[in-house]
Amino acid sequence: MNSGSIKHLIKPLAIRLSEQTTLAKSLVMVGHPFDRRDFLKVLGWGGAAVALSGCGNGSVEDGKETVVSYVETNDYMIPSISVYFNSTCAQCDAGCSITGRIREGRVLKLEGNPDSAINRGKTCGLGQAGVQHHYNPDRVRAPLLRTGNSGEAITWEKAYALIAEKMNGVSGEEVAFLSGGVSGHLKVLLGNYLDSFGCKNHFVYEAVGPAVLRAANKKSYGVEMPRFNINKAKVVLSFGADFLGAWVSPVHFSQQYAQFRKGVDGQRGVLIQVESKMTLTGANADRWLVVRPGTEGILALGIINALGAHGVTLSGDIAAAVKGYDKERVSKDTGVSAEQIDKIVALLKERTPSLVLVGSAAEGYAHGSQNAAAINLLNQVLGNVGKTVEAAAVVPFPQMAPLTGNTAALKTLNDGLAAGKYKVLFSYAANPVFTAPGAMKFPDNMAKAGFKVVFAHYMDETAMQADLVLPLDSALEDWGTQVPEYMAEGAQINIQQPLMEKLHAETRGMGDILLALIKLRRAEDYKKYDDYYAYLRAAMLQNKNALGGGADDDTFWTETLSKGIIKVAGTKQILSGKVSAAGLSLPTPAAIDAQYPLQLIPSVNASLRDGRHTNQPWLQESPDPLTTIVWDSWVEIHPKKAAELGIVEGDIVEVTGKNGSLKAQAYLFPGIHPDAISIPLGRGHEALGRYAKGYGVNPFQILDTVFDKETGELALHETRVKVSKTGSRVIVVKDEGPVGGKQMGKKIAVRVASDKVKLSEEV
Amino acid sequence: MHRFLRLSVLLLGLFAAASYAADAPPPALTTEDDLGPAIEQPIEFPHFRHAGDADKGGMEINCMYCHTYARRSMVSGIPPIQKCIGCHQSIESVRETPRIKKLFEYWDAKKAIPWKKVHDLPDYVRFSHERHIKRFIFQLNRPVQEVCGYCHGNVKEMKVARRSKLLSMGWCVSCHEKEHPVTAEGGTPIGDQAYWYGMHKPLVDASGIIKAKGPNDCSVCHK
Repeated sequence: MNSGSIKHLIKPLAIRLSEQTTLAKSLVMVGHPFDRRDFLKVLGWGGAAVALSGCGNGSVEDGKETVVSYVETNDYMIPSISVYFNSTCAQCDAGCSITGRIREGRVLKLEGNPDSAINRGKTCGLGQAGVQHHYNPDRVRAPLLRTGNSGEAITWEKAYALIAEKMNGVSGEEVAFLSGGVSGHLKVLLGNYLDSFGCKNHFVYEAVGPAVLRAANKKSYGVEMPRFNINKAKVVLSFGADFLGAWVSPVHFSQQYAQFRKGVDGQRGVLIQVESKMTLTGANADRWLVVRPGTEGILALGIINALGAHGVTLSGDIAAAVKGYDKERVSKDTGVSAEQIDKIVALLKERTPSLVLVGSAAEGYAHGSQNAAAINLLNQVLGNVGKTVEAAAVVPFPQMAPLTGNTAALKTLNDGLAAGKYKVLFSYAANPVFTAPGAMKFPDNMAKAGFKVVFAHYMDETAMQADLVLPLDSALEDWGTQVPEYMAEGAQINIQQPLMEKLHAETRGMGDILLALIKLRRAEDYKKYDDYYAYLRAAMLQNKNALGGGADDDTFWTETLSKGIIKVAGTKQILSGKVSAAGLSLPTPAAIDAQYPLQLIPSVNASLRDGRHTNQPWLQESPDPLTTIVWDSWVEIHPKKAAELGIVEGDIVEVTGKNGSLKAQAYLFPGIHPDAISIPLGRGHEALGRYAKGYGVNPFQILDTVFDKETGELALHETRVKVSKTGSRVIVVKDEGPVGGKQMGKKIAVRVASDKVKLSEEV
Repeated sequence: MHRFLRLSVLLLGLFAAASYAADAPPPALTTEDDLGPAIEQPIEFPHFRHAGDADKGGMEINCMYCHTYARRSMVSGIPPIQKCIGCHQSIESVRETPRIKKLFEYWDAKKAIPWKKVHDLPDYVRFSHERHIKRFIFQLNRPVQEVCGYCHGNVKEMKVARRSKLLSMGWCVSCHEKEHPVTAEGGTPIGDQAYWYGMHKPLVDASGIIKAKGPNDCSVCHK
C-alpha cells in the first residue's frame, strides 16, 4: 500500500540525518518511531542548519578522488564533451529510433532520432526510462544455475556445456522456445537455431498485443497491420484504441494527432472515443462516450444501420447484417443514447474521410473478433479504406519481418507443458509466470519441463522458476536489427548498437548466445563469425545493394551505424477493397451476474504496459495520466457504484472473481462504466527487483480464462468480479488535488454535459 | 509529552552540530597561497622534467601538449597513456627506469592509471578551463605557464603536482574583482564581449588601456 512509497521517501533521509548528528542517530537507533510529520519538520530545520554550516573552505578534498584517464582514445572523445550515437529503443515494439548522449563513455540521456519516420525525433516517457533499464541495480550479472532454492553463479562455458548435455538425445519436438516479439537478424538466427535440431515449437507471446486486431484486419483489409492516417482524417471514431497512450505506435500517432488537430483543409479534426474505461486518448477526445463493456460491435453495427437510414448506400449483405440493429435496440444494449448515435452519424456523414479504430477494449471479449470485424466494417461503409486506412510499406526481406506475439501461443505452450510434452524449455523476452492468468497454472506446468533456461535481464518471476538463468546485455549494450510491425511511411530497418561499453563483464547479447548455441549444432556453417556483430555485419554487407549502399563495404557500414536507420524501397501491400458482412454475429449483452456483478477491465498503462519495465523507478514515479496515482495499484470505480457500495476514496477493497481475489485501494473515477471496475496492469510483482517487488497488485492473476472464439486469444476483459470493503482505509498517494476542485473561484474550464455540445457546429 | 521532548532534543542536537560546523570562517577575499597535502600517485610524474626550464634540465613542453583538453572543454583532462607512450617508445635512454617501466606495464596491460585528483572542486562549482584559457592565453597572449599557474602554481618546478592555491570561492572572487585588460598589449581586441565580463562598461585608465572585471554572477559558476 502507500506505506511502501513513504518508506521509500524516508529511508534515505533518515540516513542523511543520522550522519549529521550523533544525538539524532542515537534517538533513531533507540527506536522511538517519530511521527512522520514531526520528522519532516525537524528535517527542514536540519536543512537550514546544514546550509549555515556548509559554506566553509573545507569542502575540497585533495587527493581523495581518483581521476582515471583513458588508455587510448579517439580524437572525438574529449572529457566533458558529449558524443551522440543512434540506436533503436527497445522499451516496446514500436521501433522508435533514438539518439543517445554519451559523455566520458557513459550514456546519460536518450532522445528521439529526427530521421525516423516513426517517431521524428521524439520519445515517450517509457523510452526515456531506457537508461534505467541499462543502469538498473537489479540486473542479473552472471549465469546462474539452480541448486535447491538458490542460484549459483557459473561460467558461460559451463552454461553452454550444460545446455548441450541437457539437449543430448532430446528430439526437436521435446523442446519449446518461448519468446516475445522478434524481428530482424535475431529472428533469422533464432529460426536457424531451432531448425538445427528440428524444433517447430516456437511460441511467440505478447501479453497485451493487438492480436485480435491483426486477425480482424487480415480479414477486413487483407493485411494484419495497415497504416492508419489519423492526420488525414477529419473525424476519428475510436473504439477504445488508446493511440496516444499504449496502442501500437503511440509516439507516431501522437504526432499524427497533432496534425489532425491542426486540421485538414482548415477543419480541425474531431475525436470521438467510445470505451468503457477512459484512457488517455479518451480524456483528449471531443466527445467521450461510455459504452457497456463488450457492446462496441453492436454500437458499430447500429451506426452503420443509422448511416443507411441517412442515405449512405449499403451493399446487400451489409444491409442484411445490420438490419436488426435499430437505434432503440442498440441504445438499450450499449447504453449510448439514440441522440448520441444520431450526432455521431451526422458528423461521420458530414466529414469525410474519417477513420474508425479498433482498440484493445473492443478486442478483449469472447466475441472480440466479431467486435473488431463489425467496427472495421464501418471503415468500409464510410469509404475510408484506401484513404485513411492505407497499405503499409513492407521491408523486402520477409525473413526479417516481425514475428508478432499473441496469447493463443501461450495457451498452446501451457497445454503442452501440462501434458508433459517438453523436456527443455527456453524463455526469452517474456514473463509468463507474471502475465499468464493464475487459472492457467503456468508455474506448475512450467515445472513439468525437465530443464528450463531463461534469458533474462532481471530475476523476474519466470527466471525465478528456471534451472538456468542466462544474463543478457541491456538494450544499450547490444547489437541488433529491428523491423517494426507498424511501418510509418516508407519501409525501414532499425539498427541497434551499443551506446557504451558493457557495465557487467558476464552479460551477453541474445545474438551472441544464439550464435554460441548454434555453433554447438552447426559449427561448420557459423565458424566464420566470431560474434553476433560479425554475423550482423556480414549479413548486411551481403545485401548491401538491396539496402541502398553503393559505396564500399566500410563506408556503407559506417554510414549505416551512424544513421541508425536503413530506409529501403519497400514493397507495397494491396488492401482488399471488398468486404463481406457474412458470418457477422454479435451476442446480445449478457444479463448481470448476481454473484459477480462487475466487469473487470485490466487497463494498460502507457508506461508500465505488461509489467516488464516496472523495475524502472521513473515509471513507478511518473503519475498515471488520469488518476495521478504513483507507486501503487488502485481499483477504479464509478462514484455512483461506490456510493451504492459505501466505498470512498482510499478504502481498501477486495476484488473477488472466480479465480481468486486481490486487495487494493479504491479510486473513485467518473470515467468508467458503473458496472465495471478497472485495475491497471504491470504492478504486483513478486520478483523482478527492488522497485517492483511488493508494489501494488497483479490483476493478471485473477483473470478468467475466457478465449476469443475465432482466434483463441485470451479475452482480457471477460472477467467478472464483485467488490467488497475490507474496513481499512489509506490515503491515496497521488499528484492531483481534490477531485472536482474549485478552480480557485475562477471559471477556467467550464463543464458542459456532453449531450449539450454540438461538435459539428463548434469545431 | 514524550513527543515534545523527543522533538526538542532532536532540534537541540541539530543546532549544536550546525553551530559547531558554522565556526569555520565565512569565505574571505584572499589571494594567499595555501599548500595542499602531498599526494601519493601511482607513478611519481616529474613535471619539472617535462615542463621545466631548459637551463634547469627541463624540456619546456607546453602544458597543453599533454593536457590537451584544457582549451577544448570544461576539464583539462589527464592525458591518455597513449600520449605518454607516443614519445617514450622512442626514448631509449630512460626506458629501463622504474617509473617508465611501470608506465609500460600499464600500457601493456591496457589498464588505466588510477591517478589521484590534486585539484578538486566541489560538485556544485562549474569551472571551465576552456573559458579561462581562451581569455588569457588566446586573447591576452599571456604565456601558457603563467596562465595555468594562476590556479595551479608553479607546476614546472614540481615533481608530483601539489595544490598551492586555496581554490576557495573567496579566492576565485579575488581575481574576478580585479580589472583585467580587455585588449592584449598590442594584441587582439576583444570588442563588445568585454561588457559581458563585468556586466558594466569597461574602464579606460590613464594609459588608454581598457579594463574590465571578470564575471561575478552567481550563475556563472553555480549552474
